[in-house]
Formats: sequence, structure tokens, C-alpha cells
Amino acid sequence: MREILYDVFARKDRGDPLSHIGYVDAFDEETAKIYALTTYSEQTWFEMCVVERSSIIPVTDGEGLFAQLRRARNE
Amino acid sequence: MSDVIDPAALGDEDRAALQRLILTLADSKRLLGIRYSDWILGSPSVETGIATSSMTQDEWGHARLLYAMLKSLNTDPRAAEHDRATSEYASIAALDEEAPDWAALVAMMTLADRAITVMLESFSRGSLEQAGSRVPKMLAEEEFHTSLGAAWYRRLAGTEGEAHELLVRATTSMLPTLIAWVGADDPPMKRMVEAGVIEAAGDRLAAFRDAVRDLTALVDVDVDTVEPSTDWDGARGRTAGQPSEESAARARGDLNRALLVD
Repeated sequence: MREILYDVFARKDRGDPLSHIGYVDAFDEETAKIYALTTYSEQTWFEMCVVERSSIIPVTDGEGLFAQLRRARNE
Repeated sequence: MSDVIDPAALGDEDRAALQRLILTLADSKRLLGIRYSDWILGSPSVETGIATSSMTQDEWGHARLLYAMLKSLNTDPRAAEHDRATSEYASIAALDEEAPDWAALVAMMTLADRAITVMLESFSRGSLEQAGSRVPKMLAEEEFHTSLGAAWYRRLAGTEGEAHELLVRATTSMLPTLIAWVGADDPPMKRMVEAGVIEAAGDRLAAFRDAVRDLTALVDVDVDTVEPSTDWDGARGRTAGQPSEESAARARGDLNRALLVD
């Protein structure tokens, strides 16, 4: 069964930077939301969101994780 | 919502009916938590296992809150939780045995958990003040159980082969007893309806059917034509049978008795 990789971003309090806190494998947006909530439940987050990794567009073309992944996917 | 009732002022028959209702809800929550816990390490992915663990904690917390409601009936919740014989457990029949496969657990998540939720929704709208104040938080915590169950049910239903067949088997096996339980209309339940503690059997059953109709249709099961089991046990408010001895021992906490604190 096909799994999709979703990156999880969250901020602890209003005004905090939105940080990349991890990722989950899920089969749709609904399960990604549930898995993110239950997997990263060690804190009460002010805001949490998931983004399908393939939708992330790296802006800098350096050695960053997402740029590397994009290059690998395009090879 | 009906006028609030005072549990301590209930007559003997109403009191017994309310105790039976609370116990079948609490026992079902506790057994469901055990069934979820069985699959924390066997789930299809780490993420699903973590979600299953979270559901386990939810169910056990809900059970504890429901058992505590027995205090208002001058019944000791501790004895109800830890000192009853297996044959006294009033948990729903769908939870008597461990889910033999992931599809069966998905059916429990989707059908059994939902049946309990439908009963609790009705209970929360009734005349028992404690239900009105405590149950809504449980229902909020249940929302992701419903979403996860539905997502997995749709996924397995959309496959061909063994997973689909196992889901059909679990669904057809569970529904008759769940429909009998949600739609129970025996004298004790009629008393609870008359007292405004819970809504009428027909309304509860319609809510359950509405909740699962589209999902079971995916495996060609028409929930509107499923007949209820007829082996009703009026003493416990569930259909015949009982949890396995091993399950009841876990529910009672037999191995942890030395650790119990007042």
C-alpha cells in the first residue's frame, strides 16, 4: 500500500518560529494529521501543520535537506 | 436535555438500570483499550502504533471516569473496576476476544468504538448531570478515533484479496451484536429512556446506522438490513458471552494488585 511522506511543522507559542519537528508516513491528509498529532504529542502546540514533502519547493539550491531530496527525486 | 435527575433519589429499579448502563459503557471502554493495546506493536506502521497507543490511553481514561460515576449510586467504583468475576463483565460482545488481524481491529475502531460513542453521545444529552459534564470531553477525544478508523476502513475496503475479505468477516460478525446493544429496548433501558437518561432505542440505532452506513456499504454490507442478535442478557445489558479470562484479568489489573493505591 502506498505511503506518502509528510513533514511536520509546529510552533510552541504564538509568535514562535514555525519549526520542522519531524515527519510521518501516512496514506492521506487525514491520517497524516492524526499521526502528526499523536506522534508529536509531547508538547501542547500552538500550531501544527503537515506538508506533503513532494510539495515543498526548496528556494536555496545548497546542501539543505529538501534541496538534496528534490535533486535526488529529479535524478 | 431533560430535567436533571438525582441518582441518589432513584428507586431501586431505576438505580439498577442506571448502574447496568454505566457498567456496560465503562466495561466496553476498558476492553476496547485492551484490544487497542494488543496492536500497539503489531500495527502496520510506527505511526499507526503510536496512534493506537494514544487510543488505548484515551479508552482507559474514559473507563475510569465512567466507573467513577458509580459513586453517585453509592456503589464502590474500585470494586467494580478490580473485583468482579469475568462473568459479570458487561462489555460488548465484539470485544470479547482479541482482534485476530489488523482488519478486525479496524472494524472494532470503526464499528465497536463508534457504537460506544453513539451511546455516549445520547447519554451526554440526557438527564444525568455527570454525563453532561464528563462525557463531552471524551467525545472530543474520540474524534480522531473515528477519523482514523474510517480512513483505515476505506483503505482496506478498497483493496482486493485477503485484507478485504477479513474486513467483511469482521464487519458481518460484529454488527448483529452491536445493533442489539445500541438498540436495546428491554425494561431497564426503557426505564432509562423514561427517566431521560438516554434517548429512545430507535433514535440511538438510527444514529449508529447513519454513522456507519457509508463505510459498511464499501464492503457490500447494508447496515439497515442487519438483524440484531437475539441472545440478549438482561442482567448485564449486552448479548450473550463474556470476555476471555485473560482479558478480564487484564481489565481487573490482577497482576498489579500489589500496586493499587486508594
